[in-house]
Amino acid sequence: MSARSRFAVFSVTFAAVYAAVYYFAVYYNWPLFSYGPQTGQWLALDHSASAGPTMYWYGWIATAAIAAAAVALVACSLPGNPGKRLWSGFAWLVPVCSIAAIVYMLSGYFTR
Amino acid sequence: MWIALVITHGLLAFLLLGAITHQVVSAWAPVRAGATNFVDRFRAVGSAHYVNAVIVLYLITATMGGILYTNYRITSRLMMEMGHYWKSVGAFEIKEHLIAIGLALLPAYWYFWQPSSDAGDLRTRKFLTTLLAFIIWWAFLAGHVANNIRGIGT
Repeated sequence: MSARSRFAVFSVTFAAVYAAVYYFAVYYNWPLFSYGPQTGQWLALDHSASAGPTMYWYGWIATAAIAAAAVALVACSLPGNPGKRLWSGFAWLVPVCSIAAIVYMLSGYFTR
Repeated sequence: MWIALVITHGLLAFLLLGAITHQVVSAWAPVRAGATNFVDRFRAVGSAHYVNAVIVLYLITATMGGILYTNYRITSRLMMEMGHYWKSVGAFEIKEHLIAIGLALLPAYWYFWQPSSDAGDLRTRKFLTTLLAFIIWWAFLAGHVANNIRGIGT
């Protein structure tokens, strides 16, 4: 498989897996790390800052990026030509579904 | 420092908005012959030339937004909650998730804008660009509304 085809498999897999993992990371709160903006604390996983709010956004991105990169690297290393079996539309369809699920999760803000 | 950062963030977001809007319109409704009026000229831009600019602008704007977000979280957000601006808070929450998901689209967006004659690739290119445009428009508007309610650094 050429480098171009491998990158196609990597990019489609990365976008799809990242979007799915990101949703679950937000829903179940799986941040790789947390940040307390008031105290400047960086904490591993989902520990709360000693004062003020705790931000998990950076940690959710890290969780999703690492998981997606690992899966995408495996996918583009598979023997044969996995690009022929992988529908490129997953690159936008899975993110659209993830966005819809996140909007539903946050719908409470719009119904108060 | 926060005011300079939020103004620069807004200006870069505006450039990004212009680039992606040109691109999405020309991707869905390209002009084949010579453009004669404003709308045709808007559609007639060389879409492929915008790809690298969109990616670089997205990364810089998102990074600056990520820095500003720390200040927003302990100032503007608290004020918006106290004022019961729930829809604006919710729109901003959605914005942060959209931007995070948009980051993951960039490698595929870059790849599918490379020259290709495959119909599936061209369709994926259009949908990825449209999704990215939706994300950028939402982020711009939600950020603008939040800044109008309570500007960072004010």
